[in-house]
Amino acid sequence: MWKTLRDGIDLRIGLKDLIETKLKGYRIPKDTNIFYTLGIVALFAYMIMAVTGYFLLIYYIPHTEQAFKSVQLIMTKVPYGWLVRMIHIVASSLMLIVVSLHMISIFIMGSYKRPREVTWFLGGLLMLITLTFCLSGYLLPWSQRSYWATTVTTSIPTAFPVIGDYITRLLRGGEHVTGVTLSRFFALHVAFLPPIFLGIVGLHIFFIWRIGLSTPGFSKSAQHEQPWTGYRRTTYPESYPFYPNFVLKEALMITIFFALTFFIISFMPNFFMPEAANTPANPFKTPVHVKPEWYFLAPYQLLRLIPNKLFGITIQILLIILFLLWPFIDRSEERNILKRPLLLVLFLVLLGLWVVLTIWGRYS
Amino acid sequence: MRYLLSIILVLVVSLPVYAVNFRELFEREFLSKPWTIERAEESTCIECHTSDLMKPELRNIPQEWKKSWHYKNDISCDDCHGGDREDKSMAMSHKRGFVGKPGYSEVPDFCGKCHIGILKNYKMSGHGRALRYTGTGPNCVTCHGSHNIQKASLDIIYERRCTQCHSYERAKAIKQALFDIEDKMGRLEEDILSLRAQGVYMDEEERELFRTKAEFRTLFHTIDVNLIKDNTEKFSERLDAIDARVKDTFKELVFRRNYSIFLMLIFIGMAVIISVISNRYRE
Repeated sequence: MWKTLRDGIDLRIGLKDLIETKLKGYRIPKDTNIFYTLGIVALFAYMIMAVTGYFLLIYYIPHTEQAFKSVQLIMTKVPYGWLVRMIHIVASSLMLIVVSLHMISIFIMGSYKRPREVTWFLGGLLMLITLTFCLSGYLLPWSQRSYWATTVTTSIPTAFPVIGDYITRLLRGGEHVTGVTLSRFFALHVAFLPPIFLGIVGLHIFFIWRIGLSTPGFSKSAQHEQPWTGYRRTTYPESYPFYPNFVLKEALMITIFFALTFFIISFMPNFFMPEAANTPANPFKTPVHVKPEWYFLAPYQLLRLIPNKLFGITIQILLIILFLLWPFIDRSEERNILKRPLLLVLFLVLLGLWVVLTIWGRYS
Repeated sequence: MRYLLSIILVLVVSLPVYAVNFRELFEREFLSKPWTIERAEESTCIECHTSDLMKPELRNIPQEWKKSWHYKNDISCDDCHGGDREDKSMAMSHKRGFVGKPGYSEVPDFCGKCHIGILKNYKMSGHGRALRYTGTGPNCVTCHGSHNIQKASLDIIYERRCTQCHSYERAKAIKQALFDIEDKMGRLEEDILSLRAQGVYMDEEERELFRTKAEFRTLFHTIDVNLIKDNTEKFSERLDAIDARVKDTFKELVFRRNYSIFLMLIFIGMAVIISVISNRYRE
């Protein structure tokens, strides 16, 4: 039965040839490490978000009177609705951790350098879109925490002179966070962002596939790399096939991702969902501590520390631009970060600052 | 390149220099309007009552109110006393419903504007009748205080307070009759809050508990021991029904945890199998 099916497909699309040339024939450098699988883990996490999101859409109602109730209905009455929602919540935070680790490892391994500048830029864009996904999705349960966190976050653009108030009104659909804001964020979350995201993911993967995987900047083979003068498919002195070797490594990391998700759901179900996330939104009652989600704590704390809000927001935008365009700014040929102490110190200081600000923002 | 990196490093390291208590400034600047409770605190009532021009005995009212259960539930000055807290010129205008401080015997009707059921039962009670006929019986303030009103509990009933007017026996009997139900309600409240913290918002049960509690406490204000004892079973049954649903939810949470542990173990098993297969392809 299975053989007949396989032969039938092979007869029509040349499946065996496809596996031989595009999967087994696609070579992966031997110097790659486990961090090289983080990209596919992130992509898989997005797929989990999409699938669980579709199920949540069946019961969710994007209306201020119904949103919280419908989410509670999913949590209490819909069979296994709690599981779908918990996976959606936990996997979204884990996905951001995976994406962050992916970007950090790419930076440390110097894999953003020529000819992979555009790949980095597209990856950076994907990270920003992921954060927008998180921001827009966060309001949807219409809980006390989501309402007030969104009130604070959507107030941030008011720092800009002239257009600041307009941007805030555009985001909110009025002066305050209301049902209009909920509709806008819902549309953004389920209709506008996914096709943009998928388009950029496609381009990102195309660039990786076309250029080939990089080797870590501090590896032996990286020292023998030829300067990039024109397009050529990257070749490696020592390599192994993408399928099954690398695919198995990726599958291992994906199962670990799932195991970690279920570990958090089992033993720390409130880790990403504090009590205020389970209280309906009340626009007339401000909670004592209004805080955004953990991934926005660092920029939030930075804004609190800098006295001038325009200066605060400007410095953050400059940092984002610097992050996106870094491969075009850093033109040094040296890929080994260990041979660039100033860059290494700067990177560690920024990373340390981000961690400190996140913890500070959480407990301040 | 080195210059650019040095500038960024200096900028980043020097940022904490500005870090001196800017939280309030940030929050005010980043919210287009003051937060709700701040709006209440910015009322003209508080402005005058905290000013040096106010009589000393009236100056500490805002501080007392800020410690109260009313404050925690966003009940502000004008909700009880009327008037307009946002317009200084009309703050104490009768046209805006200002009633000021009620007389001693007017207090029950003053509080009863919101606490309707309690007012009805209080008026039928010995306390209410004493106030009506002699003008000296206890009113709401006698037990609950005026501005620093706390969440009602059995602690309000104690010997020194009750014996100011009569013996403690009857009050003690009422307190004992109330104890079981109050205890059950307290535990249920904690359980519902615990479930909320665990991601389950029991809206219906919370409302039912609130209704039961309000009705029971309304009944208490009759200060009729026999009536309270007669109704105890009815309230107990209602609370047991809520308790059964709460217990079921706790069981459901245990099932959820076990089910996700099961899924976690499946994926750990898969990871082990993949790892073994992966090792075969290492070379």
